[in-house]
Amino acid sequence: MPRFNNDQVSAIIWFASGGFIAWGSAGYGLGSLASPGSGFITFLAGLGICFFSFIGLVEATLRQRKGGRWKPVMKGLDWGKAFLVMGALTAYALLLSRLGFIICTTLFVGFMLRVVKPQGWPVVIAGGVLAALGTYGIFELWLQAQLPRGPLGF
Amino acid sequence: MDFFQSVLMGFQVALSPGNLFFCFVGVLIGTLVGVLPGLGPVAAISLLLPTTFHITPVSAVIMLAGIYYGAMYGGSTTSILVNIPGEAASVITCLDGYQMARQGRAGPALGIAAFGSFIAGTLAVVGLMLVAPPLAEMALKFGPPEYFSLMIVGLTILTFLASGPMWKALLMACFGLFLGCMGMDSIMGTTRFTFDIVELSDGFGLVPVVMGLFGVSEVLLNVEQNLERSIFETKIKNLLPTGKDWRDSIGAILRGSVIGFFLGILPGGGATISAFTAYAVEKKVSRNSKNFGSGAIEGVAAPESANNAATGGAFIPLLTLGIPTTATMAILLGALLIYGTQPGPMLIKEHPDLFWGVVASMYIGNAMLLVLNLPLIGLWVKVLQVPYPILFPLILLFCLIGAYSLNNNIAQILFMVIFGILGYVFKKFQYEAPPLVLALVLGPMLEKALRRSLLYSGGDPAVFLTRPISAVLLLIAFCLLIFPLIPRLKKKGPAFAE
Repeated sequence: MPRFNNDQVSAIIWFASGGFIAWGSAGYGLGSLASPGSGFITFLAGLGICFFSFIGLVEATLRQRKGGRWKPVMKGLDWGKAFLVMGALTAYALLLSRLGFIICTTLFVGFMLRVVKPQGWPVVIAGGVLAALGTYGIFELWLQAQLPRGPLGF
Repeated sequence: MDFFQSVLMGFQVALSPGNLFFCFVGVLIGTLVGVLPGLGPVAAISLLLPTTFHITPVSAVIMLAGIYYGAMYGGSTTSILVNIPGEAASVITCLDGYQMARQGRAGPALGIAAFGSFIAGTLAVVGLMLVAPPLAEMALKFGPPEYFSLMIVGLTILTFLASGPMWKALLMACFGLFLGCMGMDSIMGTTRFTFDIVELSDGFGLVPVVMGLFGVSEVLLNVEQNLERSIFETKIKNLLPTGKDWRDSIGAILRGSVIGFFLGILPGGGATISAFTAYAVEKKVSRNSKNFGSGAIEGVAAPESANNAATGGAFIPLLTLGIPTTATMAILLGALLIYGTQPGPMLIKEHPDLFWGVVASMYIGNAMLLVLNLPLIGLWVKVLQVPYPILFPLILLFCLIGAYSLNNNIAQILFMVIFGILGYVFKKFQYEAPPLVLALVLGPMLEKALRRSLLYSGGDPAVFLTRPISAVLLLIAFCLLIFPLIPRLKKKGPAFAE
């Protein structure tokens, strides 16, 4: 069992992030009260993150002493599917300009239908193609959004 | 222009064929997202925001507002028929609505929810028409220090938006403030925290952030669970409530409308708290209080009226002061800024067509919702049967296209995915996204107002306390911060319950 509880872990990460923001902001110049610099507000935001995460850390530590332990955030869940979706979204972003909207979208929706919550092949193929063509019709043809074209010109 | 001329002009704008169409589309989509559990108005508005960039601001706001109040109507359907609230604001409707359905009275429950929502929505629109213009007139006296103090009030509101610990809400607000100020400094012209990424020179856009935090993260959380839905098999008949149903409900509807409207105006009140409060009040004052929880029609009428009236009330601080009091309003504020319209006291004077057109469209939209919700109830029940495995790829696809079409840039999709993952982690560790979004939207305005005030006063921070309106606003902000601590101070027993 981890030594720290959830809020202690997250508060420590936030404290470090706030410190980084404040340090980075100082580099942009804090200016003076009469003429605040570019880093003034982000510096205050960074300090605020440090301050509130410190309060959270104290609160979580007091709670830990009274028995507040780490609660698993993935227990009993099929978290692999969430990671598959994250991977598919990233792949979609990276492949969109190379494959074009229609091919990329058909593959993406098909993958979601087949792998994440498995459906039969007819649903996968029909779902992928219909979703791609339907959204192409709405966004490209009707709303005139310029969706990327692939090597085949669509 | 006097009041009646303004109202007339509003109806002329709202009744134009284009705006009628977008009003219809908005309430239709709103009802749909209200019916579908797991997809709320915040996510729906985030998903559809990019599609509105191709239409006029008036039509866009009419449609987005329609989604908001339409979702409140739709949310009751799932509460009554499935015992699953489509919206957080409809949670309390489950108690008596589902019991009525089990007793074979699903029809009157759905009917009174729709009629109550219509009456409350109409009363809220009238209230909005009467309260907003004088409030905006008063706010015209504001200078940069007053605006800064107003933004501080806006940011303290977020302590009410979050249901978890206050330190988490304020921490998220600070993070949102940081994100909002990333990119180009509008006064000095320097770029901040862009890490040499050209796409970050304007900072993070609202659309990828809200789509990621509300749309993608919600899907990520849902796919790792096995969501099963079962619809209570009942024949829906007699949608029109009887005379007795009306006698039992009319008081509840009127009280719910008043409670909802005023709680909707207040920071953090929103539709959910309004519905709970209206239910609690009704249970206290009703002659039928012992039947609450076992199928009392007042237990459906009061919260459903309140959550609809609250949506009307929530528009008042947004349109008159430029202060959003809920996450949905924060996104609408961002949308108005994207359309090049500054919400606030000048809105009514500079864009009367937008203000009065939207207000009039809300009245028309309420009438449309009555028609959509009663005869089409069978259709909405069918929609409920769409399995989530089919639905979630479409939600993701809308997110992807929405983020891309913002400025035809792949980087926006990547930003959305990053915020989706962040939103997923935030939810795992119980950090709530609405304070972040509110601060993200208010951040740049707050920075500008602060720096202008300090430049104007020669660096004297006392300017915020010596100007009466600013001082009063800061006092209000202070009270808002202290107010949530009072119950905690009074609370006995363990201070830190896990």
